[in-house]
Amino acid sequence: MTQSIRYADYLRTIGAGRREISFTAIAPPVGRDAQGRPVPPPAPGPIRLQPDEIAALLRPYVSVRFMEQVRAVVPLGLYLALFQILILRQLIDDSWLVTGGLFAVIVGLMLFMEGLKLGLMPFGELIGHSLPRKSPLPLVLFITLLLGIGVTFAEPAIGALKTAGQNVSPEQAPYLWALLNQWTMALVLVIGASVGLAAVLGTLRFLHGWSLKPLIYAALVPVLGLTLYAAQDPQLTTVLGLAWDAGAVTTGPVTVPLVLALGIGIAAAAGRGDSGLSGFGIVTLASLFPIVGVLLLTFYVAGTVTPAEIVAAAATAASETDPLAWYERSPGLEIVMGIRAIVPLVLFLFLILTLVLKERLPRPREMMLGIALTVIGMCIFNLGLTYGLSELGGSAGSLVPAAFMEIPGADGSPLYRYAVGVTIALIFAWVLGFGATVAEPALNALGVTAEQLTNGFFKKRTLILAVSVGVACGIALGITRLVFDLPLVWLIVPPYLAAALLTAVSSEEFVNVAWDSAGVTTGPITVPLVLAMGLGLGNATNAVEGFGILCLASIGPIISVLLTGLWARVKAGRQERAARAVPDVHHEQEVQSLV
Amino acid sequence: MKDEKITYLTDVALITCVVAAGRGDAVIEAARTMGATGALVHHARGIGPRERLGLLGIAIEAEKDVVDILVASDYQDVVFEAVYRAAGLHVPGAGVAYITPVERMATYVPRDILDRVPNGEEAQ
Repeated sequence: MTQSIRYADYLRTIGAGRREISFTAIAPPVGRDAQGRPVPPPAPGPIRLQPDEIAALLRPYVSVRFMEQVRAVVPLGLYLALFQILILRQLIDDSWLVTGGLFAVIVGLMLFMEGLKLGLMPFGELIGHSLPRKSPLPLVLFITLLLGIGVTFAEPAIGALKTAGQNVSPEQAPYLWALLNQWTMALVLVIGASVGLAAVLGTLRFLHGWSLKPLIYAALVPVLGLTLYAAQDPQLTTVLGLAWDAGAVTTGPVTVPLVLALGIGIAAAAGRGDSGLSGFGIVTLASLFPIVGVLLLTFYVAGTVTPAEIVAAAATAASETDPLAWYERSPGLEIVMGIRAIVPLVLFLFLILTLVLKERLPRPREMMLGIALTVIGMCIFNLGLTYGLSELGGSAGSLVPAAFMEIPGADGSPLYRYAVGVTIALIFAWVLGFGATVAEPALNALGVTAEQLTNGFFKKRTLILAVSVGVACGIALGITRLVFDLPLVWLIVPPYLAAALLTAVSSEEFVNVAWDSAGVTTGPITVPLVLAMGLGLGNATNAVEGFGILCLASIGPIISVLLTGLWARVKAGRQERAARAVPDVHHEQEVQSLV
Repeated sequence: MKDEKITYLTDVALITCVVAAGRGDAVIEAARTMGATGALVHHARGIGPRERLGLLGIAIEAEKDVVDILVASDYQDVVFEAVYRAAGLHVPGAGVAYITPVERMATYVPRDILDRVPNGEEAQ
């Protein structure tokens, strides 16, 4: 007899290559009561996994997040190291320590970002959603202000700013030294208050749908005015770099999302959250206001203390050689700083939630884990910052001048003829800026938003390219300033005036994207690296202070993005004119018009 | 992994319940108390009775939650009944639920559970 069997059926019957278990064998038996009605089975307990299964579960989760940070940090670190070895022919001191530091930065950032996503962000969103419904507007705005201060404390880059101030010479720049050493708390408070104020204004802008342009002009007038005023006084000039950098530093990975979450929540509660532009503007204002704040604080300091007093204070501070307490020395200090940055913010948010909103955490265990991860990540990141990024940036900064001038520590310097050496240094800075910006994850997000906002007219790649070129040019310009010791005012005021001009002729969408791109680019990796490099370079070339690179790096993208936007509009306009000039009618269209 | 054989689960039923958007959670809750281990919700738009009812159709939400629940076939009646009651399907316009026999299903089965199955090889 010739009965044919499908091979697949045969395989299935004999069960080759597989193993079958009845689902019923795994599930507990169905219980029935006396009347034959089903009884709910006992609630299944939590799923228990064995260690290797847990590892298998966590491996993809961790490796995705780890690689994300690796992609941002490793190319930069490699670039810096190779540049030092190949072009400057210097070995990196303590290369193991630096490698370990970079590793700590990667791990720390990974934990920090994940913790932020699990813990702090849901907190911010919850408050942003429910606060406007339960409280009057003034209270909401007041809490926004306080939150602005809180997030500034938590911003990792602020710590970098503080450590950067330790090697400023009090004789050459007394006020700068005083701000960074004696008035640090006041400095951070002022920056925080400025960010808070910016958040309040940005929220009001959401609510009333104000255009960003007048706000930018209104902010630029005092900013540029105070800058020009400070530039008159040789003592005050030294602070300008710090003041302008403060603006760039504040808009980091904690501030931007938290403040945005709050602002958007408020706008949504008011029924105005649907405008695509509502997310913008806060970042811009938050990077302009601190400049005013820091300059005003400087004027206050200048009014109360004389430079001579500061120099004297610095001398006594230097002569005090008390051994530092454990929390003031390196590993302890970073950990204390990390805890001090996050815990008050969390407490503040928690108090608002329980006292003002009378709500409970939706997923307390998950959020607690998130907050714990944030704190641990911040501590590890701080450690990595000290031993890895700052070290690498600082040594690169102090060695780069060896390309064109004599540096005590570097053998055979100057390595190249002056013009060649300076060119190499500038190219180095340009590529560094470009590479650091292209890798910045926040920029990618901004690119997506910009593409949606302009209906695909402004491509994501175009934006990323424009911003990166802008940052690169800005950093190169900043290095030029340090090398030739140019006054910062003349590098800042004209570009900002140019940006203001471009703003006037650009359309609202591009203004929003362009001004925000400035704040977004300066992330947690770029800031410490560039700051440390600037300070190292400043020390090596005997410049008074090494600040000012970051702020040039943030004006660069504003101009480049605005220009790209204008260019795109001109191109589109020309296409449209061309289309109108030649009324090319397809035969289908002709038929249609006949019908 | 000592054997690379795929472990299949048999005697599985898929219970699908379509209810107005937002009511899916109640269905899942009911199914879970009756022993379902998990559920999947997708959002969908339903078309049919709503249009054919004429003006009365406004009473039916077009946006739907579709809840998929995989259960052991011993449980299918129990869970289905719970789902039916929770969704209130005895009322017109509330939705629909159906059972699909599933031939096989495969996923990662924790070793803890595999070990508990009395000689897992024979089960077919």
